[in-house]
Amino acid sequence: MKYLTICTLVAAAAGAILPRAAIAHGFEGDTFFPPTITADDPFSKDEFAVAITSFHQPAETGGILTRETDLGFGFNKEIFPKFALGISGAWSYQKTPGTDSVNAFQDFVVSTKYQLWENPEHRFILSIGGYWNVGGSGGRSIGVDSFSTFTPSIFLGKGMGDLPDSFNYLKPIVLTSVIGEVLPTKAAAPNSLSYAFAFEYNVGYLEQHVRDFGIPHPFRDMIPLVEVALDSPQNRGGGASTGMINPGILYENPLFQIGAEAVIPINHQSGPDVGFLVNVNIFIDDLMPKLFGHPLFGGHEPAIVSPGKSPK
Amino acid sequence: MRTLILVILCCFGVATSTFAHAFVDHAVPAVGSTVHAAPVEVKIWFTEKLVLPFCELRVLDASGAEVDKRDKHLDQGNGELMIVSLPTLKPGKYIVSWRATSEDTHVTTGTFTFVFSP
Repeated sequence: MKYLTICTLVAAAAGAILPRAAIAHGFEGDTFFPPTITADDPFSKDEFAVAITSFHQPAETGGILTRETDLGFGFNKEIFPKFALGISGAWSYQKTPGTDSVNAFQDFVVSTKYQLWENPEHRFILSIGGYWNVGGSGGRSIGVDSFSTFTPSIFLGKGMGDLPDSFNYLKPIVLTSVIGEVLPTKAAAPNSLSYAFAFEYNVGYLEQHVRDFGIPHPFRDMIPLVEVALDSPQNRGGGASTGMINPGILYENPLFQIGAEAVIPINHQSGPDVGFLVNVNIFIDDLMPKLFGHPLFGGHEPAIVSPGKSPK
Repeated sequence: MRTLILVILCCFGVATSTFAHAFVDHAVPAVGSTVHAAPVEVKIWFTEKLVLPFCELRVLDASGAEVDKRDKHLDQGNGELMIVSLPTLKPGKYIVSWRATSEDTHVTTGTFTFVFSP
């Protein structure tokens, strides 16, 4: 319901504004930072995504594994220049062989992000923000946390387009990372360090900026990547670190992105076997440029930029 | 959930048309290529129609000096094709620098190089 309220307010407010210069998506200089799936990208842009994730839960019940399938969504809106609010959630379906299935919403997550420092020449961005996992907002039947957690975070992004020409073929590499400290509001729950990063190779950048090999569509629209997400408990008997390594691929279309990744647990505590996820990110700034692609308040960045300057 | 769907449909309903960022589809001389005949112009085919006053297309030599004829223009029959004329080039490496503003005012920038080696 909170999501619906915010979404409705955003849609209503956005509908009242006039067309302006739209500079959305995540760009630094000539480098596009795609909205990655596991490691949140450092841009505070308008985004809307849905995802399906399926995996076996790490805990076994008498040697029987529970399969969890989540239908997730995320919506981010730039409120002020470089500052965005977001909300995400997931409908979770859990099935253990021999028992009835259970399904309910996971806890909703509210997020903030501010693009603190950008250097387009070196394709670098540093952002700060955080996540509020709203304890108890999901369904008890699937065992969601009854307490909230807050995760102040730092986001980094670096494109390699500024490398010298002798490293031409490394220029399409993009790295992003997010590091956060998970702070639970329940005294008995452990703090933990959460970190994730993405390593990407943008075939489109290779074709457009380095060398045109004549790679045809749709292959030139693809970005192979590996995402890694780790969580290390720090106290209160939090146990071993857990995490996932997700190799996959993104396909970029002018209006949307489709991503698919394998979900490989790093140890037994993280999961018993390989899962998968599929993500669709709709570029709402391109699809609805009058509504999205610019902040709700506080003006906008000009479309006309001095020669030699980057658009961001 | 029904309300959510209605909100999304409402948003899509007010979208008047769909646009996107303009990226390079291909260029002549080709990105990163070596050409053996002196090119008389640089042509870039973008993926979207452009708004010329807000676009740039420049050709620089290895020292960073602009060598094109400063007459960037769109092809008369193709609003996605931006062209700039060149004088007689000396052999060497050249940098093509572009800025593309699509009809929905999205801006993209980029550079690429080509080598003229007769």
